[in-house]
Amino acid sequence: MLATPPAPPEGEGPGETVASRFAFYQRAGGVLTPLVTTVFAFFIGGLVVLLITHKNPISTYKAIFNGTGLNWFFPWISHADRINAAFNLQSTLLLTTPLILTGLAVAFAFRAGLFNIGGQGQYAAGSIVGVWVASSLTGMSGFPHIVLAILLGSLAGAGLAGIAGFLRATVGAHEVITTIMLNWIVFWLAGWLFGQQGPLQTSRERSLTQSNDIAPNTHLHVWWGNPILQGLHVGFFIAVAMLVVYWIVLNRTTLGYEIRAVGYNPEAAGYAGIDVRRAYFLAMAISGGFAGLAGVIDVLGWKFVLSVDDVQGQAGAGAVGFLGIAVALLGRNSAVGIFFAALLFGALLNGTSDRHLDPAVFPPTLAENLTLLIQGLVLLFIGADILVIYLWRARRRVVPRKLARTSST
Amino acid sequence: MSIRKALPLLLIAALAAVILGSSASAQKSATFKAAMVSDTGNINDRSFNFLASQGLARAHRKLGAQTRIYISKSKSDYLPNLAQAARDGNKAVLATGFLLADDMSTAATQFPNTDYAIVDFPWVALKDKPKNAIGLTFKSEQSGYLVGYLAALMAKKQGGKQVLGAVGGKKIPSVDNWIAGYRAGAKKANRRIQVKIGYSDEFAIGFSAKCKEIALKQIQQGAQVIFQVAGGCGLGALDAAKANHKGKRPVWGIGVDADQAYLGKHILTSGTKKVDNAAFKFFSLVKSGNFRGGRDFVFTLKNGGQGVGKISPKVPPAFVTKMNAIKKLIIKGKIKPPATL
Repeated sequence: MLATPPAPPEGEGPGETVASRFAFYQRAGGVLTPLVTTVFAFFIGGLVVLLITHKNPISTYKAIFNGTGLNWFFPWISHADRINAAFNLQSTLLLTTPLILTGLAVAFAFRAGLFNIGGQGQYAAGSIVGVWVASSLTGMSGFPHIVLAILLGSLAGAGLAGIAGFLRATVGAHEVITTIMLNWIVFWLAGWLFGQQGPLQTSRERSLTQSNDIAPNTHLHVWWGNPILQGLHVGFFIAVAMLVVYWIVLNRTTLGYEIRAVGYNPEAAGYAGIDVRRAYFLAMAISGGFAGLAGVIDVLGWKFVLSVDDVQGQAGAGAVGFLGIAVALLGRNSAVGIFFAALLFGALLNGTSDRHLDPAVFPPTLAENLTLLIQGLVLLFIGADILVIYLWRARRRVVPRKLARTSST
Repeated sequence: MSIRKALPLLLIAALAAVILGSSASAQKSATFKAAMVSDTGNINDRSFNFLASQGLARAHRKLGAQTRIYISKSKSDYLPNLAQAARDGNKAVLATGFLLADDMSTAATQFPNTDYAIVDFPWVALKDKPKNAIGLTFKSEQSGYLVGYLAALMAKKQGGKQVLGAVGGKKIPSVDNWIAGYRAGAKKANRRIQVKIGYSDEFAIGFSAKCKEIALKQIQQGAQVIFQVAGGCGLGALDAAKANHKGKRPVWGIGVDADQAYLGKHILTSGTKKVDNAAFKFFSLVKSGNFRGGRDFVFTLKNGGQGVGKISPKVPPAFVTKMNAIKKLIIKGKIKPPATL
C-alpha cells in the first residue's frame, strides 16, 4: 500500500517496443479501471437495492442522480426542475470542494510513499484555527482577514501532519500510527475548546457547545445561489486552483521531483543525493496543508461556526478527511482523476441524502447505507484493479483469435 | 460486436434511461403536509428523534397529514433538509434537538410561509428570533423531582448507605434540569441523602460502555439507584444497575424520555418527556390554523408533557401514593423544583 506504482511514461498509442506497449496499457488501465469499477459498483449496488427493498433500482438511481443536481446541465428539463437542480448541484459542489482538497492531501503523501491517514484530523485542525481567527480579530477588514484565516488554518493542518512527517523522518515512527493518534488529539481538543465552559465556547448562547460565529465580513463570496442557504462559494475555485498547484509542484519543481523519487525508492533517492528526511517532512506538511485548507474553506464558506459534534461526528459527509483516501485511490493520485473522483463522492453523498429520495422510491432510513455500500464497493474494486487490467488484456488477446476464426469460415 | 464496442453504447443507453425518465415533477396537492428533520442521532435513537417520529406518525393517523422524515447524516444536511422540507410544500416542519437551532433559525427566516418548531430549545435563544417558529421546551425537573423522590424512598427502605447516582449525557440545560430535579426530589424524601453525578459527554448508543463505567463507579460508592439522562449511551448505565440488581439491596435503574420499563425488572420507573405529544400538538395547531409563532410551548406535569413511567411492582403502594401527593403539589405550584444544578 505504501509504494505507489511507477507513473507511466509519456507516449501515444501502443508503441513498437515492449516497454512502450506496457506503458500504454497501464495508461489505458489508469483511466478505464476507475471507470469500470465505478460502473460495476453501481451495478452491484442496484442489485442490492432490488434484492433488499424490491424497489426498481433504475428509479432509485434516477432519484439519486436528480438529487445530485447534475441534471442541471441538461437543456431540456423544465424551469421548476432546473431551480431545484441548481440547489442540488450547489450542495454537491459544496461537498466536492473539501473532497478535492482532502483527496489532494492523501495523494501528495502517496507520491512520497507515505500514507497520510490523518486527513480528518488535519481538516479539523484547519477548521478550528480558521474559526478561531475568523471569529476573533473582528476589527480587521474582510479580505486580509480571510487570507489570514486561510493561511493560519492551512498552517495548522500542515503543522499537525508535519509532526507525523518529522517523526517518520527522524525516529522512523510510522505515519499511519502517528497520524491516527494525532486525529484523536484534535477531536478531543475541539471538545475542550468549544465544550461547556470551554475557552472558545460561544458567548451568544451558553447551552450550545460550539464556537463563536465568524465575523460576517469573513464569509467567502457566494457566486451561485442563496448565500444564506448554503450557496456555492468561491472556495470551489480555490480547490480547483489547488489541483493545478498540485500538478505543478509535483511535475515541474525540484521539490516535486525529489518527492516522487523518494516515493519510488527512498534508498536509491538517498543514494542519488536527495535528502530523504527533508522530503518526508515536506511531503507530509504540504499534504496536511491541503487538508487544513479544506477545513478553513468549509468554515468560511458555509459552516460559519464549528460545533463539538461537527468535529467529533465522523459519519457520513462529516468524514471528508477519511473520504479523501478513497478520492485519492479512485483518482489515481492524478489531478484530473482527483477532481472527478471528488465530484463522484460529493455527488454520491448529496444524491443519497434522503431529502432527494421519495419514500415511495427508496426507504429513507436505508439511504445512508446505500452511500456506504457504493463507496465500499468502489474501494473494493479499486483494490482489485490489477485483476481488471489482467481481464482487459486477456480479452484483447482472445478477440483477435475469435475474429480470425470467423473470417476463416 | 466486441465488448469494447458495446461498452460505450451500454453506458449511453443507461444514461439515457436515467435522463429521459427525469422529467416528471412532483404534483401539487391540497393535503396538509408535515415533516420532521432529525439530528444526526437518526430516528432509531429510542429517545427524542424516535418520539418525535411517533408524534409525526400520529399526525398522519389523526390529522390525515402527508408526512415525511428527513434524516440528517451530518451537519451539512441540516440546512438543506430544513429548506427542502419547506420547498416540498410541508406546512409544518419540526426540527428535533438543539443541534439544529442555528440552522432552523436561518431556514425559518428564508421560508416565512412554513411554520417551524424546535425541540429542547427556547425560542428566545434562537439566532434570528423568527416569527414563524416556536420552541418546544420541557420542564423536565418536575419529572426528575418525582423519580428522585421515589428513588430516595426506596433507598431508605433498603437501608445501608444513602447514596443515589445520576449519569448525564452532556452538561447542557436539557440534561441538567432532569438531574437538578432528581437531586432536589431525593433531598425532599431524605435530607441527608447523597447524589453522585457523572457525565459521559456522549448520547450515542455506541458509547454505552462509557455510561456503564460511570454508573458502576457510582454503585461502588454505594449508589442504590442509577438515573440515566444520556439517551442511547445511558442504556449502559441501566445495564450496570441490572448487573447489580441482586442481594439484600438491589440496585435500581431509572429510565428517561421514553418509558423504559421494558428493559427489565431492574427498572424502578422512568422520567418521561413526551416529545411525541409536543410534536403532535405543534402539527395539529398548524393544521387547524391556530399556530402563533414567536414563543415557547412549555411542557409540564400539568399539561401532560412530562410524566412518570410505569412503576415497578416491587415499590410499596404507599410510596406511590406519597409521590402522587408531591405531584399534585408541583402541579399546583406549591413545590417548584430547581432547573439548574
